[in-house]
Amino acid sequence: MSLIQVKDLYKIYQMGNTEVRALDGVSVSIDQNEYVSIMGPSGSGKSTLMNLLGCLDTPTSGEFFMDGINVATMGDDELAHIRNKKIGFVFQTFNLLPKSTSLRNVELPLIYNGEIKAHERRDMAIKALTRVNLGDRVSHKPNELSGGQRQRVAVARALVNNPAIILADEPTGNLDSKTGEEIMSLFDELHKQGNTIILVTHEEHIAAHASRVVRLLDGKIAVDEATEKGKK
Amino acid sequence: MKSFFWENLRIALSELWGHKTRSILTGTGIVIGIIAVSLMSTLINGVDGLFEESMKFLGRGNLYVEKWPWFGDEDWWTLRNRPRIELEMADEIKERSQYAMVVAAERGRSANLSYKELSAENIYIHGVTANYPEVSTVDVEFGRFFTESEDRTGAQVVLLGSEVAKTLFPQGNPIDKMIFAGSKRFRVIGVLAEMGKFMGAFSNDTQVIIPLATFNKIFHGPWGRRSITVKVPEHLVEDAKEELRGVVRVLRGLKPEEKDNFAINQQNAFRQSYQGIKLAIGGTGMIITALSLLVGGIGIANIMFVSVKERTREIGVRKALGATRRQIQGQFLIEAMVITASGGLVGLIISTIISMAISEFLFPANMSFGVAFMAIALSAGVGLFAGLAPARKGAKLDPIEALRYE
Ligand SMILES: Nc1ncnc2c1ncn2[C@@H]1O[C@H](COP(=O)(O)OP(=O)(O)OP(=O)(O)O)[C@@H](O)[C@H]1O
Ligand SMILES: [Mg+2]
Repeated sequence: MSLIQVKDLYKIYQMGNTEVRALDGVSVSIDQNEYVSIMGPSGSGKSTLMNLLGCLDTPTSGEFFMDGINVATMGDDELAHIRNKKIGFVFQTFNLLPKSTSLRNVELPLIYNGEIKAHERRDMAIKALTRVNLGDRVSHKPNELSGGQRQRVAVARALVNNPAIILADEPTGNLDSKTGEEIMSLFDELHKQGNTIILVTHEEHIAAHASRVVRLLDGKIAVDEATEKGKK
Repeated sequence: MKSFFWENLRIALSELWGHKTRSILTGTGIVIGIIAVSLMSTLINGVDGLFEESMKFLGRGNLYVEKWPWFGDEDWWTLRNRPRIELEMADEIKERSQYAMVVAAERGRSANLSYKELSAENIYIHGVTANYPEVSTVDVEFGRFFTESEDRTGAQVVLLGSEVAKTLFPQGNPIDKMIFAGSKRFRVIGVLAEMGKFMGAFSNDTQVIIPLATFNKIFHGPWGRRSITVKVPEHLVEDAKEELRGVVRVLRGLKPEEKDNFAINQQNAFRQSYQGIKLAIGGTGMIITALSLLVGGIGIANIMFVSVKERTREIGVRKALGATRRQIQGQFLIEAMVITASGGLVGLIISTIISMAISEFLFPANMSFGVAFMAIALSAGVGLFAGLAPARKGAKLDPIEALRYE
């Protein structure tokens, strides 16, 4: 049984008279511990797909099973639970809380976990920030950080709970190639530890870290193939 | 669940701190409401204490035969034209009434007193029979009360109220000193213990007591208060009142069709009219409180809606990271409750200060623990109520819609 199974997924926005088919019949299944990169031109529906996989959005039609359970049948609390414990999401636009420090931002998923004591939360958050090389920026607020640093805070926040699935929407988009490679080796490491990783990127060398690449075009899957690494 | 409470409290505090002016303005309505309610109950408690204290001066089993009723809406002219109370009736009443245990008579008017160069003005001269201590709370601190024979013979002796004693004899012993009331000389035979004020206004300590016969001998005019106090068993006071009414009617030779031309007063009259006043004060207080809490609550609901709207993206982020509806709802509810409870606390502090000032200058009015607790609970309740709709609105937001909100 696949970890993620998507069948005939449509996401259609009605804009007045025209309809925008952000996803136009996508079917894909992803196994436990797969390392998948999603590519495609701007506006091809990558973020839309990620939001659906992250249980943040609901499709216009189609089915989405996670661990064999139809996500459409899940209640609000169940979805919150999955988003909190199972999924680590790196948003394309970061979505950090502007008035909170890096530390507080990274702590958030742990707070909603509800089972972790305050001092443990702090330790875990500092560790996650250190992993993205921001150990010295714990008490900075987002507007006191560079774009790349914000992106790394967003990555740290996605990792901190050690979620089974990491969904990263262009996690290296704002980083120089060296820092980008550092983040990618972090993902490689998590993958080795058994986590499932799905990431969106525009760069072939980033995509090459994955073992499989899914190429979207106008809301449809154009290519779904193994990478060089995956073929080995 | 417990940890969310602290987390939400922390969020609420930093959020309110970030909008200080707004929070203060929002909480003001609650502050006023809580001041109204806590001050009102404190005042009522204080006035209650004052009332009970004052009622001690009027024994429960005392009936006062007087010209004027203490309360009532009878025609003033009718009352005015009643004959004055003949104090001589006292002996007859004692003889004819089965319930009467003690019958004392008294008169009173004010006069100026002097001792050497010191003087005390507008002092209530109280002429009473020798059995007066049995129907009142006077207590002789130094010296003694006058005797029956001193009363009969009209001896010129006087007992000073504690204030009068202090005024005329700032230091030194007043006993056996001679003081003047007009041209009449009186020998001081006693000083009364301090009694306090009646209803916080009329001091019982600025009176002097002299024998009734002496009073009659000196003051001839028709002025001043005249009253016969009939002490009866407390539990039979209503029956005794009826009997007394009949006795006085007979003594006055009233025909059956004639109305009473005297009043029989008792503590109950005070109680009843006090209850009425208390209800009126309490009712007004409740209305003010309810209105200001309602207005305050609406203000808070309004601000909370604004807050939810402003923080739509934040809600989206929190939900995306796994916050449940309950957690988001709790966050905004606690925020609303923190505003109102702080408002309540501030209101409580202000009314504590006010009630301390009242205690200092008017009468004892202490904020009870119960009142304080009620005020805080009430204000937190208003927050809960006002925050509910906005909190639910925030909690129901769709995560992706909220994240996209600009
Ligand atoms: N809320 C929305 N309302 C209407 N149209 C939308 C909405 N969200 C996305 N779209 C449209 O859906 C299409 C896919 O958008 P999506 O964000 O998934 O693109 P993307 O592949 O992530 O692009 P990029 O690489 O630029 O991030 C776009 O044409 C976009 O205009
Ligand atoms: Mg995108």
